[in-house]
Amino acid sequence: MNKAFFKTTKEIVAEGYDNLPVEFVSNKHLIYSSPATLSFNSPGAKGYGVKRAGLAVPESVMLLVSPSCCGRNTSLFKSSPEYKHRFFFQLLDDTDIVTGRHLMKINDACREILDSLDKRPSAIMICITCVDALLGTDMERICRKVTETHSIPCVACYMYALTREKRLSPMAYVRTSVYSLLDKTKRENRDMNIMGFFSPLNDKSELYSLLRSAGIENIRELARCETFDEYKELSKANFNLVLNPESRHAAQDIQKRLGIPFIEMLRLYQPDKIHNQYALLANALGVKFDDSEYLENAKKKIADFKEKHGELKFAVGEILNGDAIEIALMLVKEGFKVECVFATIGELNYRFLKALAELSPDTKVYSNLSPTMLMYENDDIDCYIGSDCAYYFSDKPGIECCDDTEPFGYQAVTDLFDALDKELLK
Amino acid sequence: MKKFLKYMSPFAPDQSGACGVFYELGGLIIICDAGGCAGNICGFDEPRWLDKKSAVFSAGLRDMDAIMGRDDKLIQKLALSYEQLGGKFALIVSTPVPAIIATDLRSLERMGEKKINVPCIALDCTGTGYYDKGEEKAWFRLFETFAKDSFEKVKGRVGIIGATPIETGYKDASNLKEYLSKKGYDNAVIYSMGTTLEDVIKAGECEKNIVISLAGLKAAKYLNDKFGIPYEIAYSFIPENIVSEAKNYSGKNILIIHSQFAANELRNTIGNTDKIKCATWFMQDKEFAKEGDIQLSGEDDLTELLEKENFDLIIADSDALPLIKATGFNGEFIDYPEFAVSGRLLG
Repeated sequence: MNKAFFKTTKEIVAEGYDNLPVEFVSNKHLIYSSPATLSFNSPGAKGYGVKRAGLAVPESVMLLVSPSCCGRNTSLFKSSPEYKHRFFFQLLDDTDIVTGRHLMKINDACREILDSLDKRPSAIMICITCVDALLGTDMERICRKVTETHSIPCVACYMYALTREKRLSPMAYVRTSVYSLLDKTKRENRDMNIMGFFSPLNDKSELYSLLRSAGIENIRELARCETFDEYKELSKANFNLVLNPESRHAAQDIQKRLGIPFIEMLRLYQPDKIHNQYALLANALGVKFDDSEYLENAKKKIADFKEKHGELKFAVGEILNGDAIEIALMLVKEGFKVECVFATIGELNYRFLKALAELSPDTKVYSNLSPTMLMYENDDIDCYIGSDCAYYFSDKPGIECCDDTEPFGYQAVTDLFDALDKELLK
Repeated sequence: MKKFLKYMSPFAPDQSGACGVFYELGGLIIICDAGGCAGNICGFDEPRWLDKKSAVFSAGLRDMDAIMGRDDKLIQKLALSYEQLGGKFALIVSTPVPAIIATDLRSLERMGEKKINVPCIALDCTGTGYYDKGEEKAWFRLFETFAKDSFEKVKGRVGIIGATPIETGYKDASNLKEYLSKKGYDNAVIYSMGTTLEDVIKAGECEKNIVISLAGLKAAKYLNDKFGIPYEIAYSFIPENIVSEAKNYSGKNILIIHSQFAANELRNTIGNTDKIKCATWFMQDKEFAKEGDIQLSGEDDLTELLEKENFDLIIADSDALPLIKATGFNGEFIDYPEFAVSGRLLG
């Protein structure tokens, strides 16, 4: 066949979610670490993997206990100012793995860490990998020992790539870990947390204004906490707003431990759906949001863009701040064409795929993880969205839409079209 | 504390070394891992990944694959990819997961060969060893598997064994060819960089082999036994600026930290070799070491060495500099990037 494997939206939907082609089921084929999507295939390679995520606890340090291979790429960000003097490595040799003796050394390693630092860290995050997953290591017990010995909070972070597709993936688990140091405290009626990302939401997101209009005074995010004291204040929240399903388990854990309930929202790019979500949020909070101005702005932005650039033909990738299929659906609904989408199909975005199939049955869907992507030849497009597409279509205009600052709501939509406009005018 | 890194990051592991040897040879390379190891290789240790396509894939092992030992599933995946992409051979590179569950790699080779009818090589990497261990196994298996037939010698043809981007810091053979031309080797075949599997098959054509890393020595000895090809040890790829700067310190007490053959070459080039000690984080063969040369097993060994001895100059990858400074060293320092340490390229 020697060509990249794809199916049209219509073909996929005709077969149904339970009969996805083998190429879309990642545990049924070898995984291509495409240069376009390296962030997928190494839990710590790019973006926020478990290692970086574990250090979201302010003023904490991390001890990675693993064979040398697991910590190799940490060089990429170890020297950046925010991670300087925060990573330490206890490397395993064959005897450690056979005898489990490395577990006896963790306490000493923590002592060395504490002795070597000028300032005492807020916590030690101990990151373990597939090796300890297979050995069945009880890291919680070891963390308790470290806490008892050194009087410092110690938390396990599980970088278990073997369990990537489990209900509780490593990235979902680490989200739970980083909130686990919060203690029960008196909840404040006008305080809340936004959960879901390891970097802050875009300051321009209307979500902040809408929440304030509902009487919320303190909106906190883990990524904005600069000190451990600020982090501790997260437990004052009256409720948590979860914007990423990977944080659901963390929110459930907080609800169980601290009695803080949570509300879930999705990051969407379809203006009408954003409006519906805000209405549901307002309903849950017992208030009314007036988002009409933001909605009109977003609609106008899209209309102006379309008038200026015409019915462009897009490629949409999956390495971006959003869901590729949902963004493709938005583009099609707004009158653009989507030639191809690079996506991992899951239960959540399959419903977007079904809607997309009705409006754009010939849109091709590729899986970045398929080995056949080695043979990918570019589709004919005008413009792309997504960091992976930037690799495939390096000669075309487009945007990566992959900033560390997280877009949300109508702001995400207007910024997306502003950025596209800017690129197309270059 | 041994094996504890406070200042440096872990070095390139054995699976990266193994993959680098076969990278350009047109086979299917399967990293037998859950995803992280392949990501490390492709995203960090294989600088050719963004410019030069190669069929390197992760086996995508999941917990139940490891628990149940589902080798047949891996072979099915291999067969599917072979059907889609073809390939001159299949290479399966082990990692910590198969090492822990004691995967029978010989059996994987046999099952793979039976299924796809091309040579299948499985290398027992563990992720606890460094790149040179993986390269050593890979170089040997490469020649053992493919360099089977004798060929008429080609005048002036010289084989270079041991050159990979991790070892040399160069991701493209053109840089290496320039160095070799200066030494008078215009018909050199740099195995695994800018050459093909056909060149390996015709390894018997070479009049001589030059071994540039300890990892390539075992393979060179194999070719010597098999085809009577003599070999010599030499490392020709040290950047001019480092050599000329280092020469200014000839006669002073110098410590060079690099892979053994590169460090030895630099020592000989600087001169006054009795005043120069070589150390390496990687493999060291006593046969090629001078008295006082040291194999560093971790940060503690270097700290101990610097507390014991006074050096006027240290030549090493600057990733080691914070550690060196922490010992109170106040001499001169020349940065000689070593890809296996810092992941920095020379060109």
